[in-house]
Amino acid sequence: MAEEQLVTFSLGSEEFGVDIMRVQEIIRIPPITRVPKSANYIEGVINLRGNVIPVISLRTRFGMTRVEETDLSRIVVLQVQTKVFGVRVDAVTEVLRLDSEAIEPPPPIALGMDSQFIRGVGKIGERLLILLDLDHIMGGETSHDVSA
Amino acid sequence: MSQDDNNNLGVDLGEFIDFYLLDSQEQIEKLGAGLLQLEKEGGNIGLINDLFRSAHSLKGASGTMGFTPIVALTHAAEDLLDHLRQGKMDVSLEMIDTLLAVTDRVKAMLAQVEQRQEITIEFEDLASSMRGILKGDKPVKEEMIQTSETETEDLVEFVPVDFALTPSESEKVIDAQSLGRGVYQVHVKLGPNTLMKAVRAVMATQRVEGMGAVIKLLPSLEDLEVGDAEEFFMLVLCDEPREELRKELLEISELEDVFVHPYQNVIEIVETNLEESAAEIPVAEIGIEPKVIPSVGAEENVIKPIVTQKTTLEPKGIAKAPGTPMAETANGEGNTQVHTIRVDTARMDNLINLVGEMVITRTRLVQIGLDLKAQYSTDGMVNSLNEANVYLGRLMNDLQESVMRLRMVAIGTVFNRFPRLVRDLAKKTGKEIDLVLKGEDTELDKTVVEVIGDPLMHLIRNSVDHGIESPEDRRAAGKPELGTITLNAYHEGNHIAILISDDGGGLDLDKIRQIAISKGLIGEREELSERDIANLIFLPGFSTADVVTDISGRGVGMDVVKKALNNLGGMVDITTRKGKGSTFTIRLPLTLAIIQALLVEVGQEIYAVPLSSVLETLLVNREDIKTVGGLPMVQLRGNTLPLISLQEKFDLPKPETESSEVYVVVVGFGDKALGLIVDELRGQQEVVIKSLGEFLNNLPGIAGATILGDGKVTLILDIGSLIQDVLVTRKA
Repeated sequence: MAEEQLVTFSLGSEEFGVDIMRVQEIIRIPPITRVPKSANYIEGVINLRGNVIPVISLRTRFGMTRVEETDLSRIVVLQVQTKVFGVRVDAVTEVLRLDSEAIEPPPPIALGMDSQFIRGVGKIGERLLILLDLDHIMGGETSHDVSA
Repeated sequence: MSQDDNNNLGVDLGEFIDFYLLDSQEQIEKLGAGLLQLEKEGGNIGLINDLFRSAHSLKGASGTMGFTPIVALTHAAEDLLDHLRQGKMDVSLEMIDTLLAVTDRVKAMLAQVEQRQEITIEFEDLASSMRGILKGDKPVKEEMIQTSETETEDLVEFVPVDFALTPSESEKVIDAQSLGRGVYQVHVKLGPNTLMKAVRAVMATQRVEGMGAVIKLLPSLEDLEVGDAEEFFMLVLCDEPREELRKELLEISELEDVFVHPYQNVIEIVETNLEESAAEIPVAEIGIEPKVIPSVGAEENVIKPIVTQKTTLEPKGIAKAPGTPMAETANGEGNTQVHTIRVDTARMDNLINLVGEMVITRTRLVQIGLDLKAQYSTDGMVNSLNEANVYLGRLMNDLQESVMRLRMVAIGTVFNRFPRLVRDLAKKTGKEIDLVLKGEDTELDKTVVEVIGDPLMHLIRNSVDHGIESPEDRRAAGKPELGTITLNAYHEGNHIAILISDDGGGLDLDKIRQIAISKGLIGEREELSERDIANLIFLPGFSTADVVTDISGRGVGMDVVKKALNNLGGMVDITTRKGKGSTFTIRLPLTLAIIQALLVEVGQEIYAVPLSSVLETLLVNREDIKTVGGLPMVQLRGNTLPLISLQEKFDLPKPETESSEVYVVVVGFGDKALGLIVDELRGQQEVVIKSLGEFLNNLPGIAGATILGDGKVTLILDIGSLIQDVLVTRKA
């Protein structure tokens, strides 16, 4: 009955979804300013219409290899509580509705990445959609970073 | 009956709470500061009057809002001050202590009100101890008011007021009169310093509604809210006798007096008004404009009823006291208040943000203008564009300066809370200390003022606890028993300097050195200047206090003070002389919002260095950079200047080819200097400081970010923390 509306994007061959209510906007990659001495997954900061917001590389955060920027690369600007930040993804794929019954809790050993970022796994036919737990994306449980 | 009037009178008192809090907090501050002054200066009648007034209006406002505990306390305090004022008692230490305790208690109560909680704090004990002080005095006061009231009742003539009734309203009046119902003109006089006049009017209206109906209120609620009216009039339909009406209204606190007169027909009134001597001021105006009562002599001839009533009714000492100039100064104060307005800080911040955005956009325009000029240098239009840009730039500078000035607050607002602190601490430690304040008018940005309080308090606590010696020790050292702590502030270029000096024993440098060595903060053989040793106390994990007292040394070390100041882009330094005392010098930027910056290039990156900390720039041959103990240094006019390479510091990629010369930006804070090795200088520019947000707070060496004309984000270096970093890592 209950239904979730998700914005989905891809990193490599994997597909992820975030709650559409958390997505403020989706932008092309602007010039990114490196921030020295920050966590390794912080790509830098960008100018979003006069506001400075941090950008996270989801690939680095999930322990994947870095890739070059392509035409499809985007930054998904998210709002979690009062904090606004961007996540860099390979491509934004679609907006879809997912029945909450089709969401399963994260498997204990999740797809080679740390399960603390995962809220659940959605099934759409044969497709598997990893639903992200945004509260944990920023914020530094560094012990997990090492294992990731 | 008066449905349409009810609409604009139905004001919820809750809306006034913020207003009430703001004013009450101000009054309580005044009260606290005044009490300390009273303690110093003794029975100064003007001061006592001020205190009385503060207590009085606090009581009145609290009564209106229904905060009984505050009323109980302030009422007792008011009684006490009243006795002082009338010379029935002398100022005693006990009294001051008790009254100060009252201010503390009320402050705590106000805090509860602010949290929208019920006031649960005990008050009976203080109220009764105040009554205890009062005991033995005859209650003469009551009688006096009684007589004055009966006198005035007769003295006040009926002065008809033009209520400017609408046809339907006057119809109501005529109807009521023809039915033989009572129609009254109610004249309510407010105390001269009554706060929230509109609330009194609302309350008066509500009271009357219980007995009859209010047809019209003059001046209107809106005017009462903003105006300086000292009285208002109500046109009331009521079947109760006029005395009842008066009694009912007098129960509202802070109404100075209420007069109820039968109201004549509208037309008649206009006629009587015309008939009366032309010299008479139309009374209806009085309510709106505060132009009445400029000088007592002149007005006595013009508006008889009001003046006679004023002089007889006023039970305050002002009128009787021989020092009439005092009364004038009180009036003068009232006038100056009109020139200021209170503005929500959120609105102001928004304005400042907008100006900030404009500054960015202007830099962009200038850039475009220059690019155009490079391309079409002969085109007249391009030139006029650039001229307009220059003019716009000047305007923007002025605008920005004006806006920044809006945020400037005198540092006195922070200083003023310290006399009380020092007094209490001195008592607790059995020391005799005088706190001298200087430069309270020095202005600095509101954001700085808000956060400077805690570090300052800590330093003052430290001075009281560790600086000033006990009276016995001072006598033994041949110094006056009364120790002095001086708090001074003044502008120093783009910075403000705040000095906290004491004439105490000075820091025990040997002991500091020993502790620093035992804690491994410095090496045993390290050569340090006296100043360097003194500054060791700012290192984390340092505390010289043998005994941990509850004043300072609560585990919150001086390093916290230093860190708090560094976060503001400030520095703190100590100079000390054994036996003579110590001085803590704090240097802070005046504003935290917009700064002049020098843009520097390091590899692909551009960084902004706050110009206020740039001393000079040098072009240095790489060969001249020597390494001492693995760290780069350069000789500058005979001194060694430590260098850091931003490229290494920030882990930037190494350039493929190294030029033979590099730029060095010499930055300094206080007396410490450091050279930053950069690749290029990009010129200076005004930048708006933006926060990096919660996620990227507290990065070493980064103070914030800004957006340049091309829209790219540039990081602003935090020179204070860079210098500290280098010095700490080199010490370790």
